Amino acid sequence: MVEFTRRSFLGTAATLSAPAIIRPAWAADTVKLGCLFSSSGTMANIEGRLNHVVRMAADGINAKGGVNGRRLEVVTSDPASDWPLYAQIGRQMLQQEKVAALFGCWTSVSRKSVLPVVEQNDGLLFYPLHFEGDENSKNIVYVNSPPASSVLPAVDYLMGAEGVGAKRFFMIGSDYVWPRTINKQLKAYWTSKGVPETAWREEYVPLGFSNFQTLVNQIRSFAAQPGGQPIVVLTVVGSSIPDFLREFANQGIRATDVPILGLDMVEADLEGLDTAPLVGHLNCWAYLQAAKAEANTTFLSEWAAYVKAKGVPFSADTVIDPMVSAYDSVQLWALAAAKAGSFDVPEVRKAFPGLSFADPSGYTLTMGSENNYVARGVFIGSVNEKQGFDILWQSPDAPKPVPFSPYG
Amino acid sequence: MVEGPGRFGFVALLLWAASLVMPPALAAEATLDRGALATALCGDGAAQAKAVEGVLRNSAEATSGDLAWAGTILRALLDRRLACLGESALVLDRAGATDGRDAATGTARPVTGGRSPVLGLRQRALVETASGAASLLTGADVELRRAGLAALERRIATVPEALLLRAASAETDPGLRAGLAAIAQSAALSSADPARRLAAIRAVSEAPSGAAFSRLSALKADAAYGSDPAFRSALDAALARVERAVSIGNGLAVLYNGLSFASILFMAAAGLAIIFGLMGVINLAQGEFIMIGAYATYGVQEAVRRLAPGWLDAYLLAAIPVAFLTSALVGIAIEALILRHLYRRPLMSLLATWAVSLFLINGVRVAVGSQNLQFAMPPYVSGGVPLYADFVVTWNRLFAIAFAAVTLVLTLVILKRTPLGLDIRAVTQNRDMAACLGIRTRRVDRLAFGFGSGLAGLAGVALCPIYSVNPGMGANFVIDSFMVVVLGGVGTVVGTLVAALGIGGANVLIEPLYGAVAAKVIVLAGIILFLQRRPEGLFAVRRRR
Repeated sequence: MVEFTRRSFLGTAATLSAPAIIRPAWAADTVKLGCLFSSSGTMANIEGRLNHVVRMAADGINAKGGVNGRRLEVVTSDPASDWPLYAQIGRQMLQQEKVAALFGCWTSVSRKSVLPVVEQNDGLLFYPLHFEGDENSKNIVYVNSPPASSVLPAVDYLMGAEGVGAKRFFMIGSDYVWPRTINKQLKAYWTSKGVPETAWREEYVPLGFSNFQTLVNQIRSFAAQPGGQPIVVLTVVGSSIPDFLREFANQGIRATDVPILGLDMVEADLEGLDTAPLVGHLNCWAYLQAAKAEANTTFLSEWAAYVKAKGVPFSADTVIDPMVSAYDSVQLWALAAAKAGSFDVPEVRKAFPGLSFADPSGYTLTMGSENNYVARGVFIGSVNEKQGFDILWQSPDAPKPVPFSPYG
Repeated sequence: MVEGPGRFGFVALLLWAASLVMPPALAAEATLDRGALATALCGDGAAQAKAVEGVLRNSAEATSGDLAWAGTILRALLDRRLACLGESALVLDRAGATDGRDAATGTARPVTGGRSPVLGLRQRALVETASGAASLLTGADVELRRAGLAALERRIATVPEALLLRAASAETDPGLRAGLAAIAQSAALSSADPARRLAAIRAVSEAPSGAAFSRLSALKADAAYGSDPAFRSALDAALARVERAVSIGNGLAVLYNGLSFASILFMAAAGLAIIFGLMGVINLAQGEFIMIGAYATYGVQEAVRRLAPGWLDAYLLAAIPVAFLTSALVGIAIEALILRHLYRRPLMSLLATWAVSLFLINGVRVAVGSQNLQFAMPPYVSGGVPLYADFVVTWNRLFAIAFAAVTLVLTLVILKRTPLGLDIRAVTQNRDMAACLGIRTRRVDRLAFGFGSGLAGLAGVALCPIYSVNPGMGANFVIDSFMVVVLGGVGTVVGTLVAALGIGGANVLIEPLYGAVAAKVIVLAGIILFLQRRPEGLFAVRRRR
């Protein structure tokens, strides 16, 4: 005789409502994955998407039978764009929820605050953003590129004959660790190339800053000075990006006058903007939505279907690099856990060297034995009229990541 | 033979008429190798650049038919309407169309399997200039030719002089001809003829800007600056003139920036001045009323788009009453349901309004989603116009300034000239006495709260063209608006205005000197010091206790 407690009733109901393919997996044990992405605060619009991508990736793996015979269960949270809260929730997830791996953080300041937590508890954090490098923890997997394989190729492109032959640089960033470190490395890089110190200017704004009139005036007068082609290196984040772009276009500056290299600029930042006067500005990532690859077509349609099926409050036809990187993170973890035949962090970590995965960007991701970095391709994108990016240049292969910058 | 030239002229006329009637692709007198250009445009960046530079170099000699054809194909390339199929290029009517016309022969063909080249930045600049040259020389109406000239002006250094001369001789519009003459004159800065150089210096200094200053300064290194006194004095005078104009322009820009920032601060704070001033309610949900106003504007836009697409440009104006009423109704509902019970407990009302703010943010996030909303920007709120030297007036900011001025006047009229305003002022100054005199203070509270929330909703309308609209947008305004209200003095609209102007101006003045981060800190420290000396703010309403 079957005893109907409240719990078993719910379980049965869930089993019945779940798609047929998941049902057998339900009976087995589950393994938990934790997400640390904000759905409120200044990062909400872009970071919030990543929670859903991790769920989608886990669903996909579960549909194929899970990992090591266990079904993945995703635990999400809302650190509310409040950096210390990332550490607190991360600790809870590791100690109380006993998650096998964490997937999370967008800004470097949030990663830096989670770092001691994962090191103390010997957890694993998969970090899906390109960032300033100069860090190598055995407890963090850096799924996206350090500057040597993202920012520097783009700056080289702009300085070269194929780009605009840039000679002068106006750096604008939000005031925190990522923009400051990137700009420090860029300055050292330019110095190594013989660019004089008078050829650049550096300005910072508070996080969430939106009144860019004065700064754009300054850019215009900087551009009017002699000394060669100027460009803007933009490292503001979150809601400041569209506000800056709008003011820039309204004051009548075009990409052919002063191009912007937006290092944190993604397709989602262009939503809601009239991009006709912004055509030609650049960004650089390890994935662009326009990437030509079969895996990309699959990913795009999978995301669109997922948004529709689950009523996700984000655009079904916008996919950004960190989404793909978060998806890759789950796949890499699953591959490593399957290779190790275990969910223990030391075992999984031992399985990293030699992993490879063909991701939606069209490149094959690989991990080496020296560090926890992942080799990714490099794309330079150019803003088009349809609020997206066209691929202007892409690297022939995925360069080997260089964690510590020789510059700065 | 007398009739010979006449007959010849007649044949030429016929040919000319034929070239007008026939599509440009079929014009008989082609000297441009159209096939080669089409192939080059489909090639790599270097090939594109070389071909387009060739078009620009030969633009003074090319036939009109060729130029018009080149203009068409270059514009297609700019708009990504050019599809490359092997060796040939197809021009499409719109990006992503399924078939197009062969660029060289004009025959219609399907596009399947073609790719549309993406322009690099260097190539884009060249293509923009060359296509500008084509529209300047072959544009059918003045507007097209003017746009072409504007494109040429952006990179005047790369434009051959002969092109400007040809355009000037063919131009029929007097305004445009004068513009062309001025540009042709200023292009002669490095001419060998001293008289033309002097004229060029004068022409450059007549359109002062930072770039003009750099161009003129470069001439100081010229040998003539040392040897020719006339050149030297002309250059020095021109430089002084440009420098003065540029600093006046920069001064105007500072004024304008300060005014526009102040108008945003004022609009965000005006509603709070009434709510905080009258009821002493520390309303942390004020920013969310702004957000609701912006979402109501979006709603109006969508409704107009569906019901009367021809009137889409007017949606911002149509949204004014809707945003005011929506925010006012939400405000009144919150007052009636929650705040009414908490008037004597300011800390409780602070917590309650915070909860309301979280509730509104997340309610909108669940209902609409958290991405930035897509607004159509009518011409009166997008772009800007250079007014004097480097001073550009941006329409969206001007809209906000005008909007703030109208809001200010309306608020003052309502407070000073209407019975409701009289009641509000009476209750602000002495609640108990007003109640004794028969004023229904509860009703006044509710209306005043609605009015204050409605003003925040209006701010939402004015902010749509400036900032991104998403559920969290209001959070940015709460602190600023409290700063303005407290500095201005609780309960006075004029104080709020003066404080907004002061804070906006101070920010704009400090920012270029010490950066945006320091500007915020300095302004905040200044306000704290000021309030230490004068806790009641700039303008205090006298009230009896």
